[in-house]
Amino acid sequence: MRGRLPALGSIAAVAVLIAVLPFTLSSYNVSLVAQVGIFFVAVLGLNILTGYSGQISIGHGAFMAIGGYTSAVMSRDHHTNLIVTMLMAFAICFVLGLLVGLPALRLSGAYLALATFALAISVPQLPLQWSTFLGGTGGVQSHTTVSDRWIYGAAWSCSAILFLLAWLILRGRVGRAFRAVRDSEIAATASGIELSLYKTLAFGISAAYAGVAGVLFVMATNGFAQPTEFGIILSLQILIGAAVAGLGSLWGILAGAAFVGLLPQVSTSVPVIGSDHGRDVVFGLMVVLVMLALPDGFAGLLARLRALVRA
Amino acid sequence: MAVNRKKLGALLCALAVGIAVASTAAASHSGTPGVTKKQIVIGGTFPYTGGASLYKTIPTAEQAYFAYVNAKGGVNGRTIKDITKDDAYNPAQTVPAVQQLVEQDHVFAIVGSLGTAPGLATWGYLNQNKVPQVLLATGDAYWGNCVHHACDGSTKPWTTGWQPDYPGEAKLYAKYILKTKPSAKIGVLYQNDAYGKNYLTGLKTGLGSNKGQIVDAEPYNFGDSAQVVGAHVGALEAHGADTVVIFATPTASIQALATLAILHWSPLTILNNVSANRLFMLAAAQNGASLNGVVSTTYIQSQTATPSTKGMKLAKKIIDSVGSASLSQDFAAGDNNLVYGLAVGYTFVDALKHAGQNPTRASFMKALRNLDETKNPFIYPGMSVQTSKKRTFPMEQLILEKWAGGGTGDWGTFGKIASGLK
Amino acid sequence: METLTSPLAGLRARGIALGGAITVYLLLGGGAVFLLVGCLQSTRFAQLTVSGLAVGAAYGSLALALVLIYRATHVINFAQGELAMATTYIAYQLIQWGLSYWEAFAATLAIAFVLGTALELVVIRPVQHRSVIAAVIVSVGLFILIDGVVNWIWGGGIRFMQSPFSGSYDLGGVNIQHLYAGMLGVVLGCVLLVWALFRFTKLGLGMRAAALRPAAAALAGVRVDWMLALGWGLAAVLGAVAGMMYEPSQLLLTPTFMQEALVYAFAAAVLGGLESPGGAVVGGLAIGVFLNLLAGYLPQVVSLEVPFAFAVLLAILLVKPSGLFGRREVSRV
Repeated sequence: MRGRLPALGSIAAVAVLIAVLPFTLSSYNVSLVAQVGIFFVAVLGLNILTGYSGQISIGHGAFMAIGGYTSAVMSRDHHTNLIVTMLMAFAICFVLGLLVGLPALRLSGAYLALATFALAISVPQLPLQWSTFLGGTGGVQSHTTVSDRWIYGAAWSCSAILFLLAWLILRGRVGRAFRAVRDSEIAATASGIELSLYKTLAFGISAAYAGVAGVLFVMATNGFAQPTEFGIILSLQILIGAAVAGLGSLWGILAGAAFVGLLPQVSTSVPVIGSDHGRDVVFGLMVVLVMLALPDGFAGLLARLRALVRA
Repeated sequence: MAVNRKKLGALLCALAVGIAVASTAAASHSGTPGVTKKQIVIGGTFPYTGGASLYKTIPTAEQAYFAYVNAKGGVNGRTIKDITKDDAYNPAQTVPAVQQLVEQDHVFAIVGSLGTAPGLATWGYLNQNKVPQVLLATGDAYWGNCVHHACDGSTKPWTTGWQPDYPGEAKLYAKYILKTKPSAKIGVLYQNDAYGKNYLTGLKTGLGSNKGQIVDAEPYNFGDSAQVVGAHVGALEAHGADTVVIFATPTASIQALATLAILHWSPLTILNNVSANRLFMLAAAQNGASLNGVVSTTYIQSQTATPSTKGMKLAKKIIDSVGSASLSQDFAAGDNNLVYGLAVGYTFVDALKHAGQNPTRASFMKALRNLDETKNPFIYPGMSVQTSKKRTFPMEQLILEKWAGGGTGDWGTFGKIASGLK
Repeated sequence: METLTSPLAGLRARGIALGGAITVYLLLGGGAVFLLVGCLQSTRFAQLTVSGLAVGAAYGSLALALVLIYRATHVINFAQGELAMATTYIAYQLIQWGLSYWEAFAATLAIAFVLGTALELVVIRPVQHRSVIAAVIVSVGLFILIDGVVNWIWGGGIRFMQSPFSGSYDLGGVNIQHLYAGMLGVVLGCVLLVWALFRFTKLGLGMRAAALRPAAAALAGVRVDWMLALGWGLAAVLGAVAGMMYEPSQLLLTPTFMQEALVYAFAAAVLGGLESPGGAVVGGLAIGVFLNLLAGYLPQVVSLEVPFAFAVLLAILLVKPSGLFGRREVSRV
């Protein structure tokens, strides 16, 4: 994702793999891999924020909720095309992200973590208060529903387009500014970088990505947007995905998305512990272990492996 | 190796097109899924974990009933296998769980799944794929095949509920209040969602021109702390109510009943059926609630009030055969959800029997839409499970009940069997 | 940047005592007068205030645990609430096995201490110096793990635990539950004990030194890493107190019963200042009372409780990021 893209080979390999998968997998597994694609978009977005501007967010589930509700409400009331709702979600979440990014300028570290946590807790409460428009706990049912394969295609097409977009943004002036801000705010200011502009921009871009992921997420629940889907656990999953991914590697983001998208489903049938609780025990344990074993996430592991090969 | 920007763009576009083409490929099926000569496989989703896990004894009872039927040879020579999955009452988890049941486990039908929101999240998918989504454990008006505005005129032919609808139940409470306490000042505590509002609407309809007697209606949110629920109950008293109607889920209703005792306030109290499980009433009593005189409704038999009926003896036998001490203990203490599960299991088996020697999903739905069940041993004596073109709720009769005997007491029914839809 | 003449003098100033400006004290005094007048005017107001203070004390205790950990290791511990929930289940189990309530209470505190210390040693130490994000994620992993383990052992259903207090008494026409008085007494008593430990013992001084001036403390011969682990142990004890006292007020024991309390404890900690232990307790009490009065008098905004509480909190963060009682945080370059 840096100025120099990961080798063309790896991109081609991923592309071929993803294009071939739906022909070989059962319909259920297709929906699982689509889920990974949805998380890919969200994790990619958060990666831009944490990885390139050094800010933390535990609130990206809130932007997914906003994106998802935008799509569901537009589809319900105006039968808007789902692709169009994706663009709308992108735009709305971009603006809202900028708005959240402004106060976030004054916060850092633990305080920013708590402020965004508050966002993640608060946003799903809003549909309960304005229940005639936003459906309350009953949720909003989109007018159009789509098949698993449609979602699979949409999720991975979005992933490809947004990955390209991220690459274009990050390789140029904006990316250099982001990295400078992350590495040292003082040095960045000294070299004439408008600090607040770039930090806010990073928030906006990453929120917009989360908004698109939210639209896909709602489609994957049969076009049904409902507050409990966007609980705090979703925000935490995105954050875990970004940490497992590490910084700036396509493979890393794939690994992070697969970690949060697949592991809870795969680990439902653990021997001894039993299905229902095994999921949480295994997932929680894996999160802790991965963080202990891979300090720089999957991307760091890859870098170390490469160094080993070269040595 | 640096990459040419144009090349990359072209590559990714090609990728997007490739995926789109791949996406149009469709899968095909033949035969009736889940049905073999020896077995019929069904599935369901339930909250085994999380805030609604109080209901998790329902699938246990259903499976116990199927085991009992299987031991007697099954239905038309087929045993019933019921695969249940946890969704923690979260629609985002219900969707993959149901997909897994349909596409991997190839279930014949989704039976008895619990919760309004989980049901709504999956009914589009299941109806599109023509998979029966039946006997849902929720009394929202949605499941009555478009008696509610929510389905916007598009019927869901593959979906049915089972238990009486909530607005109908609320109308009975309105009638009772108008009859026994015509000048009542009514305070309502309701859950702030479709479920609670369904009830509140029913109560207002039932009161008709007297709905001005509702002096205060307090909404609480599922998961609110006991203090918040308590504060709402206090607000009802402050508004001068002398009759309290509770449309809540069990946790909040226990907390509300305990708060009445803390306030030393004893209005006429009405509690909706979903919260009136004896197990939860005893818990409220343990926390100081004085329960005598609380009014509710029921539609299934009580294993504690009438333990010696044929139905309840059978229920005890089936539950005890599961071999779990804590389950038998819950049954003995009056966990009515167990009897509910058995009753739903009975209706499923009954419908399956009428779906023909070689049931298809269509023949099964036809049987479900033409139920005439007067011998379900687990429902209240004299009631029946019936469906027809005109009657889409399988169970729609109720009878009032009143609590007596304090902390070791029980419900006793009174009055006549009534239908909430009239 | 903060200038200090001597590390020890600085420590004394930044001890457990409340910091904060005059306006904050005026604000608090005004709030207290408002509550007092309200209580004298209306019994309903009084009842809401008392139960609000009681649960607020539990939020405050949990918030104090968060603050102790934040001061010691600069980690925001998302697992604090689940840890409190798990220890409450342990107390429940001990009572089931025949211990009396208070025997189980004491034994649980000991177990919580060991558990908290062990967690710091095994999973937190390797990541605490890495980044805020790494530590947050490990604690999130612990959250999920503890939740899963409790569900595995005890199941997800509702359990009923014996309540340590019953009955009520009458105070000037206001009916006060023994439970609420007991909750306030036990929680505030435990908080005072912890305060005394920090303020008056050598161990406490060592722990404060290790948390605030690790390098200077190490030079003075303090075993810094042991002190940090003990800090986690103490935090777990405070969490256990919060859990065991909060449970009877909710009437039911479920694996999710501390999650809402954790949200409000975060709010309390930020309100009081993440670096201010006294502020956390005051913040907890304030939030408990505020939410109760809101639910009692403005039921039409029932769904906005949480967003509203957090909007206030965000405003405070923006105006005074260090909270009502915190001092400006020393930035670490």
